[in-house]
Amino acid sequence: MTVAAMQAVQITLTGISKGFEHGVKGQIFAVNDVSLTVVPGELLTLLGPSGCGKTTTLRMIAGFEQPTSGSIHIGDRNVTGLRANERNIGFVFQNYAIFPHLSVFENVAYGLRVQNKQDDEIKRAVQEVLELVGLGGYAQQQPHQLSGGEQQRVALARAIVFKPRILLFDEPLSNLDAKLRVQMRSEIQQLQKRLGITTVYVTHDQEEAMAISDRIAVMSGGKIVQIDVAEDLYDHPHNEFVARFIGRANLLDGKLIGVEAEKVAVDVLGQTVIVSGAPQGSKAGDAVRVMIRPERISVAREGSQGMAGKVVTRTFLGEKTEYHVAVGEHSIQATVFGQSRASAFALGDAVQVIFPAENIHLIRI
Amino acid sequence: MSVTAPSRSLLRRDPLIAGIVLVLWVLLGIFVLYPLACLFARAFVDGGVVTFQPLVDIVNNANHRRAFGNSLVLALAVGIGGTALGFLFAFAAVRAGLSKRVMGFIDTATLLPLISPPFTISVAILFSFGARGLITYDLLGIKGYAVYGFLSTAGAEIITYFPIAYLTLRPILASIDPNIENAAFSMGASRWCVFRTMTMPLSIPGVANAFLLLFACSLADFATPLILAGNDFPVLPTEAFLQITGQFDLRGGALLSIMLLVPAAIVFFLQRYWLAGRSYVTVTGKAGSRSRAEILTPAMRYSLFALCGAVALLVVYFYALLLFASLVTAFGANHAFTLKHYHVIFTEGIPAIRDTLIIAAIGMPLGGLYGVLVGYLVSRKTFFGRQALELVSMINYALPGTIVGIAYLLAFNDKPVELTGTATIIIACYIFRYSPTGIRATIALLHQIDKSLEEASESLGATSFTTFRRITLPLIMPAFFTGLGVVFIRSMTAISATIFLISINWTLVTVRILENMTELSLGPAAAFSVFVVVIVYFVLWLIGRMLARVRSGGAGDGGRVESILGG
Repeated sequence: MTVAAMQAVQITLTGISKGFEHGVKGQIFAVNDVSLTVVPGELLTLLGPSGCGKTTTLRMIAGFEQPTSGSIHIGDRNVTGLRANERNIGFVFQNYAIFPHLSVFENVAYGLRVQNKQDDEIKRAVQEVLELVGLGGYAQQQPHQLSGGEQQRVALARAIVFKPRILLFDEPLSNLDAKLRVQMRSEIQQLQKRLGITTVYVTHDQEEAMAISDRIAVMSGGKIVQIDVAEDLYDHPHNEFVARFIGRANLLDGKLIGVEAEKVAVDVLGQTVIVSGAPQGSKAGDAVRVMIRPERISVAREGSQGMAGKVVTRTFLGEKTEYHVAVGEHSIQATVFGQSRASAFALGDAVQVIFPAENIHLIRI
Repeated sequence: MSVTAPSRSLLRRDPLIAGIVLVLWVLLGIFVLYPLACLFARAFVDGGVVTFQPLVDIVNNANHRRAFGNSLVLALAVGIGGTALGFLFAFAAVRAGLSKRVMGFIDTATLLPLISPPFTISVAILFSFGARGLITYDLLGIKGYAVYGFLSTAGAEIITYFPIAYLTLRPILASIDPNIENAAFSMGASRWCVFRTMTMPLSIPGVANAFLLLFACSLADFATPLILAGNDFPVLPTEAFLQITGQFDLRGGALLSIMLLVPAAIVFFLQRYWLAGRSYVTVTGKAGSRSRAEILTPAMRYSLFALCGAVALLVVYFYALLLFASLVTAFGANHAFTLKHYHVIFTEGIPAIRDTLIIAAIGMPLGGLYGVLVGYLVSRKTFFGRQALELVSMINYALPGTIVGIAYLLAFNDKPVELTGTATIIIACYIFRYSPTGIRATIALLHQIDKSLEEASESLGATSFTTFRRITLPLIMPAFFTGLGVVFIRSMTAISATIFLISINWTLVTVRILENMTELSLGPAAAFSVFVVVIVYFVLWLIGRMLARVRSGGAGDGGRVESILGG
């Protein structure tokens, strides 16, 4: 049997909450009535700013913390109330938690030794998984001889060697430098796909989340505010928080003028734009937030289309140039890719700002 | 398994831990709370009626009131003198830029009093300043010099206990970034001004802690006053001892020891609740790259060195004298070389040595394990009564030995727990009195070990026992060895509690030293003392070696001999 042959299971959280007594604020909830289904084989990321409850949720799935209410199923099994050692999970910690007194081999072998596996079986499994994470010759190294990336791989190998039913990651890349972070995240993703193991991944880095996940659950204030694939989160955020947290966004006040089945007319910055897809249940006269991503805005030097504006700031970033353009009393962020030095706008230039209708997304207030 | 979890008790969640907690409570009940209850019962209950008349009698007794006052004055003097001396040494160690060799000499000299049997310095002072003393009689020609009294007692205790202040203050001073002093200096402050406005205020919590430690040590010290205080300077521990052994007045002894309890308890709570968390600097913080402090002129450095060197030399002189006295026929009268004192201790003294070593050998592993277990439970597990458990486990450590000794004597003399005359009573006394150092060391070490290591083990399927055995225990080995070391040193050197607990069947080297002293056979007493110092030094060295072996990846600084003894 190879490492890859694992039966993927579903993780189901049903209305879980984690409350505790705060000295000043009284009863507060780190996680508040969260329901979530992670489908078999999926890599789902819990994304959010610090304090949003993502790590607490993950630790409840692991069994390090017990929910105050609600239930957790791994596969068909209700694991609520079970301790971590009874749940058969692989957990990768933010600081790796490599046992400092054990060699690489013994670190990885630990889960198998706990299960009283035969020595030759342990040896074979550990060697195989070390090869898998690219640490073939490292078995006898001591933890303090390893670099950060190598420690990360040991932590990964240790979490998968005993064929856990699910894999959990708690900000595993936050202690690595930027370059290694990019490399490791694609390795983790490839490994996860290869093993086909249901995985929950926690991070506060939206780029990392988008790069690695099948789906992303954005959390805020102890609740999940939106679960979607990365493209939908980016293009169709359900609320301002998600719009701002994932990527950069221009958010402007708008008013619905006419609502039809497929199309809706919205008044924004004194112009009427026809957009497809109104927010659910909205009607003419409602106030909405009009969202458009900076790179989806067109900026032209002249012409009759769009709104007249003036370049306020310019930031050259290599492949792209970011502008702030004053339109009336609003400041619009716009990103232009591949602009040559000659065609770049200068500070004070008068420009036309165009919102292509297909790039506008409306958010209900 | 459909109900949610939080209400599950420790018993169901972790029956093993629950069982251990229960066993610990039973043991603490028997060996800490029960004896104390017996002590109070003996003192305040007469024929089933609570009465405070005996206490009133004791307090009305002018002699006892004087003993109480003397104890406080002595403790104050030793606290101030010892802390000042310890500060001087610590300051010299971290700021005077002394060479490694000089520091090594100073460290060794300051270590000696910490690992000696209790009478060592007292005997050396008698040899030097007594009626036939090397200095008073031979050197200065003073006849019949009366060495006994406050001055010699305080002096001996300061020399004995200042190393504790030194070990407490050195890490505190070392953790003050010299750049703070340099910054003040660069802003135009004078050297004295820098010291007064920066160094002193930053080290105040450490100084207060050192003072309280020394105050408690002196308050509890029984051996030094017994030898040096004389009749005109009675103190409480010796009075309580004489009340019991001389007049067989158990209630009087109990009451006197309770008088001792009041200041001891005050010191304990000051340390625990007032000083805790007041330190401005983290003792365990990483040093990083530090620039050298420039605030001392060469002249200051040399005078610091000279002062510390002189004190260290005095200590070395005392021990050399002891060694000399153990090798001559009769110190002060006949200085012919002889090994007969060593012959005495290795013939007549063998039972005491054997008993002491057996008791130490049994007490060491038990005490080490107990310290690690309690430390682990109180810092890593949540269970009902956790803080109470920690507090109760510290009681015997905080109480002066005299109180503990008398309480054990009263508690275990009769049914239901009859232990008088056994080795068990002495071993139990050592474990519950000296393992708290191991508890503290364990808590401190666990503080540095991230909890995720244990969670990682748990997530890999290990039970909490397996996690403890395979992950936590190896990582807290230094604390375990600290616990071993302290229990061993105290087994070899303690007397204040155990003097009440020895019997015909089981006796101790320290008690033999005391007997020799009272019989005025100072030669064998000196030989015994030398023997104890040598064997303790050897065992400490051995433990240091073992520690170096078990420590991997630099899990803290728990292994230094100093840390075994400090605080």
